[in-house]
Amino acid sequence: MKNRFTWDFLMTRYPAFFPLILLAISIIVNWILQPNMFDRETLNSNMRVFLPLVLVAVGQAVVLIGGGIDISVGGIVSIVNTILATRVGLDGSTELMWRYVLVSILVGLLAGAINGFFIAHLRLQPIITTYATSFLYGGLALFILPNPGGGIPASIAEIYRTTTPLKLPLSFFIIAIILLVWKYISSTRYGKYLFAVGGKADAAYETAVPVTSVQFSIYVISGLMAALAGIAITMLSGSGNAEIGSAITLNSITAVIIGGNSFSGGIGGVTGPVMGAITLSIIQNIISFAHINTWWETLVKATIIVIALAAPGIINLLRRSGP
Amino acid sequence: MAKSLSARNIIKRYGGVEALSDGNLDVHTGEVVALVGANGSGKSTMSKVINGVVVLDGGQLFLDDKPVQLSSPQSAKKLGIATVFQELSLIPQMTVAENIWLTREPMTAYGTVNRKEIDKKTNELLSLFQGTYKTDIHPHDPVASLPADEKQIIEILKAISVDPWLIILDEATASLDSRQVTRLFDLVKHWKEAGKAIVFVSHRMEEIFRIADNYSVLRNGKTVGSGKMSDINEKDLVKLMIEKESVFSFSRTGSKKPDKADKPMCLEVDGLHTTTLKGISFRVREGELVGIGGLRGQGQRDLLLSLYGAKPHSGKIKINGKESKFNHPRQAMKKGLALVPGDRAREGLLYIRSILENLLLPSWKKYGFPLKIAKAKHDAGKIAESLNLKMAGLNEPVSSLSGGNAQKVVIGKWLMRQPSLLLLNDPTKGVDVGTKAEFYSLLTNLCNEGKTILFYSSDDEELIGLCDRVLVLHDGIIRTELSGETLTKENLIAASLGISNGGAL
Repeated sequence: MKNRFTWDFLMTRYPAFFPLILLAISIIVNWILQPNMFDRETLNSNMRVFLPLVLVAVGQAVVLIGGGIDISVGGIVSIVNTILATRVGLDGSTELMWRYVLVSILVGLLAGAINGFFIAHLRLQPIITTYATSFLYGGLALFILPNPGGGIPASIAEIYRTTTPLKLPLSFFIIAIILLVWKYISSTRYGKYLFAVGGKADAAYETAVPVTSVQFSIYVISGLMAALAGIAITMLSGSGNAEIGSAITLNSITAVIIGGNSFSGGIGGVTGPVMGAITLSIIQNIISFAHINTWWETLVKATIIVIALAAPGIINLLRRSGP
Repeated sequence: MAKSLSARNIIKRYGGVEALSDGNLDVHTGEVVALVGANGSGKSTMSKVINGVVVLDGGQLFLDDKPVQLSSPQSAKKLGIATVFQELSLIPQMTVAENIWLTREPMTAYGTVNRKEIDKKTNELLSLFQGTYKTDIHPHDPVASLPADEKQIIEILKAISVDPWLIILDEATASLDSRQVTRLFDLVKHWKEAGKAIVFVSHRMEEIFRIADNYSVLRNGKTVGSGKMSDINEKDLVKLMIEKESVFSFSRTGSKKPDKADKPMCLEVDGLHTTTLKGISFRVREGELVGIGGLRGQGQRDLLLSLYGAKPHSGKIKINGKESKFNHPRQAMKKGLALVPGDRAREGLLYIRSILENLLLPSWKKYGFPLKIAKAKHDAGKIAESLNLKMAGLNEPVSSLSGGNAQKVVIGKWLMRQPSLLLLNDPTKGVDVGTKAEFYSLLTNLCNEGKTILFYSSDDEELIGLCDRVLVLHDGIIRTELSGETLTKENLIAASLGISNGGAL
């Protein structure tokens, strides 16, 4: 009988186990530095800032599970932001806003479909393709809005900022919905295909899995999640800036890896990356509360991230050289 | 209902190379057809043709005498054709159940996979090989955690889970032990009676004669003969496969093996322990060819890797009388050891790099700085020639070679270092008869030159025909040592199964 409670077993069977530990540690540290962290107001103001990264990380997680990578997500976030900021405007109507929210989602799907077409149908390298399209989308955002400006009506932004159903932040409900949807998807046939294609695409093809469609779909999902993140970030800031998405790409990849997914595909889930994204955001929080000199901020943040990424490997190394 | 599939005058080219120039095959329900041929003769291509993985350049397939086109694995599957692939079509990260039922998962009304049902159906399939597993397989075990033979069994179960009428077994027995092969053959007989057709692709003559009703021989992409198994003997079948007069003989059998009792000890092992080995002790004299036998996964791989310093171990190892403790293969290499690993694709070769680079990889140091590339090329060329390596040129990638020739590169790269002790892990696995014969004479020659060889093989006949002595491993210990009179097939199999000590000790 195999022991099902060993470290190895927990790590492989529950990929979200380690990110959960990291999340717990970062929450505790943050709590010490910011004792009012769990107050309704503070919690909400934190979570609404975290949500865009969480959304992008979910899309990125699906792409990585499917054996790809998407570095054009930041560009998609920027396009959506600039579209909303220029088309709706600070004095636009609510109806206009929702119309352009719909347009934004379509733009995200289209951008993802372009990535998917190049990668799945033309068989181009995911990293090169999305690197190229990231400039395409980022450039388009700059074309739409060359200088920061524009915006959406403050009344609409407030919906996102202050809605707290059941006295809990809106973000909690959105994350809960995402996790439930993922739970469902991962137990459907599509979910199995996703892991199969990411794990070993040749074997999946020989088993008659529609590999091309699955590869196409992951970029569409990622485009959709990036568009949702773009909408969230616009409602958060209330204004437009073509550079707004540029930092989110690498953060989303880091979040997914901290979340226990593998670069090589076929492993992981979405729960871990969601926790990874929150952990990453909390680290940012901790740094600002620890009163670290601005000059050191990047260095400290990077060090924490490197340690978090290396921790599972270091633990394995120690275990191997042990008795 | 009787069904049949025929392939007529199949042509398939890969780039400029003609893998099949005139391939023919007939299969009917209720029969087992052995598709035989040397490596590179087009067997694998032929099975890919029947399975729809490759697109034809010429020729026609007929299903029940009606022309049919197989454009993808999906279309073959719809027609009830399933394949057990030589390079497994399993996804390592996924579980046993997910792998077997991929694309055909039992679903619930909500569109999700029915976990109870999938586990139940998986357990039913797993029970077909009940009793041949090392540990119990659970439907939720990830495939990556299983040993090679159990992965192979999962691949077989996956193929039959479709309930096909035609099953192609492409080298399906290569990584199975004798107990598992026997179980598979019982199942094949059962399927045959149940009206299925089986195409059996194998290098192992004994198995072909055990299970097949008909044969079809491929040579250089052409079907050169077919007929009933009962009308042909082993020698004639091999003759069909290789154009030359039979080279399939063990050069050492018959002739009296030279006595090596007066030679100095080359290798002394005492109480070797690893995670799988439970105390191994033996001695090997210089110039001996010692076999390691037993069922698969009884610690043979660990034994070779420990000696080579590639696996943490405890115990005493003496090489040429001097105590040696290797923590890294580099140290073992310096002492004149060489290891030919079991998985040549993963451990033995850099597939996409040239033959030259592969041959020189362990020896670059010898050619100084800056590299004396002309001399290196010359030496590599000489080795390639002495091994009779069939290649388009030293600069061609190893991936362009057939299995047997690729294995020659693995051996060649070590021979360039003039090793004194060779550790071989199943070097003839998936190698055609012609090349096997070349290996046998090569190994014999090396021993006569005074080199010592420790040789694990999953082919019992090979061990009996070639080795001075055979150590039979069972469950991490040396169950028995067979030599001379006691070195017979019956004893070897009995000891492998742990039934008896095989008359010795």
